[in-house]
Amino acid sequence: MIQFEKVSKVYQHNGNDLRAVDGVDFTVHKGEIFGVIGFSGAGKSTLIRLVNLLERPTEGRVLVNGEDLTQLPKPDLRKVRKRIGMIFQHFNLLESKTVHHNVAFPLSLSGTPKKEVDQRVNEILEFVGLSDKAKQYPEELSGGQKQRVGIARALATSPDILLCDEATSALDPETTKSILKLLQKVRDEYGITILMITHEMNVVREVCDRIAVMESGKVIEKGSIFDLFSNPQHPTTQNFVRTVMENDIPASILNGIEERGASRNIYRVTFVDESAGQPVLSQVAKKFDVEVNVLFGQITELQGIPFGHLVVELQGEDQEVLRVINHIQQTVSVQEVTSNAG
Amino acid sequence: MQVNLMDFWPRIWEATYQTLLMVGISLLAATLIGLPLGIILVVTRQGGLLENKPVFNAFSTVVNFFRSIPFIILLVAILPFTRFVVGSSIGTAAAVVPLVIFSAPYIARLVESSLLEVKPGVIEAAEAMGASPWQIIRRVYIPEGLSSIVLNLTIATIGLVGASAMAGFVGGGGLGDLAISYGYQRFETDIMIATVLLLVLIVQITQTIGNFASKKIRRQ
Ligand SMILES: Nc1ncnc2c1ncn2[C@@H]1O[C@H](COP(=O)(O)OP(=O)(O)O)[C@@H](O)[C@H]1O
Ligand SMILES: [Mg+2]
Repeated sequence: MIQFEKVSKVYQHNGNDLRAVDGVDFTVHKGEIFGVIGFSGAGKSTLIRLVNLLERPTEGRVLVNGEDLTQLPKPDLRKVRKRIGMIFQHFNLLESKTVHHNVAFPLSLSGTPKKEVDQRVNEILEFVGLSDKAKQYPEELSGGQKQRVGIARALATSPDILLCDEATSALDPETTKSILKLLQKVRDEYGITILMITHEMNVVREVCDRIAVMESGKVIEKGSIFDLFSNPQHPTTQNFVRTVMENDIPASILNGIEERGASRNIYRVTFVDESAGQPVLSQVAKKFDVEVNVLFGQITELQGIPFGHLVVELQGEDQEVLRVINHIQQTVSVQEVTSNAG
Repeated sequence: MQVNLMDFWPRIWEATYQTLLMVGISLLAATLIGLPLGIILVVTRQGGLLENKPVFNAFSTVVNFFRSIPFIILLVAILPFTRFVVGSSIGTAAAVVPLVIFSAPYIARLVESSLLEVKPGVIEAAEAMGASPWQIIRRVYIPEGLSSIVLNLTIATIGLVGASAMAGFVGGGGLGDLAISYGYQRFETDIMIATVLLLVLIVQITQTIGNFASKKIRRQ
């Protein structure tokens, strides 16, 4: 569990205060995958480095499993750091050491007997699917394989927290997916709490239970992945959502709506999972005296569950249309669309 | 008087031996001093593992001071010190002292630049894993920088071969001394050529070994 309590980190920049992290306040629960998303320079890396005290907070506190690490003497801090794994965008592996020795590194730091180290390394390499690469050097591996080594190394000391700083940002989309799957497996099998930061919406969409959106050092919005996708409040959040799902109705369709006159019944139906959406609408067409005309739609996947929205026109008597809305609102969320507002 | 090259071989061998001895001992001693100095310069610099401005400035100034003195001046200037250390101010052993003082600060700078090539991210990863500063020096900085250090030590060795040629001034002997006293001052062209060829050979072999060792270390 990680608790950020009104944490700020202030740097001096040309004599001015630069609030890289500004009053951040949220909790990452045990066994949760929590994502922090924000554009470059938002303060994400600074925030994540406050957790293992690579940076010290200027104000506020960060509690790791209830403990304020700033209070610990250095040797104790080092001990605690062994319980907090970290992986990086550029992997940061030891180039002069084999995969085996890279993964063994954190264990050998605490003087673990060689036999025990070897056993643990084999076990963890098996877990990340790199048993056959133990004797190779990092430069002989692909980016995805290097990150697997990074994950293996971070897990070697059996931590209860894993920090991921842009762990997939240097990888192609396919490799990103496989690394995210692996992180999910890390959480599911070891119950490790994962805090990941990224500037890519498709990363948080894939694996995060909850996300926080950061801008200029502040958390501007946070919530479950479904909340943020279905109802993003802040313009920045809306922009991020738009990077993976087009929310705006294309201009050509809007123009069509305008042309066909004023009294139109156009709605945006937002749905989660396949039981909603299409079936609801086809039922409507059968049950009620209305025609359902789908103008536009977007479907994406959040944590493996279909999520999307359809923009539909309901053609029929106003009374009947109202009845339809009341009916479908029980299963999906419905918003009216006007031609001048997406 | 003309000297026959064949008759002169024993002198050449002796001079070669003296050169190798001077260079070898100086290199060893200078590395023993320069390596820790280089490490201190890296870890105490701004943003370093054990950032400490006064310590960094002090060491950096001392290193710069000795690096700015031309070898031939250093050689003479420290004669009293040399006598104090080796008990004599002439001979091969006496030449080693100025060679060490000349090359240790140079090696310190070379080690510094090698260690600065180690990616900061790797150091940070080790810190995040709970490594102590000493563990980071011994198990990250040195192994990760070793290949580059070896390459740089090769450069320092070749510099030592060149500087050792001036050891004649303190009766240090060696190939350079031979080339100057016979080849240059007595116009023995054969001996001049032979000694220069031997120096070239020594430099070539040193570079080849250095390149090989550096490559080998990089991938082990
Ligand atoms: N050590 C530092 N000294 C001064 N400014 C810093 C330092 N680290 C980060 N910053 C500044 O803090 C802000 C946030 O940086 P960072 O946390 O790296 O953002 P992100 O990871 O979201 O891209 C940036 O403006 C950056 O320039
Ligand atoms: Mg960053």
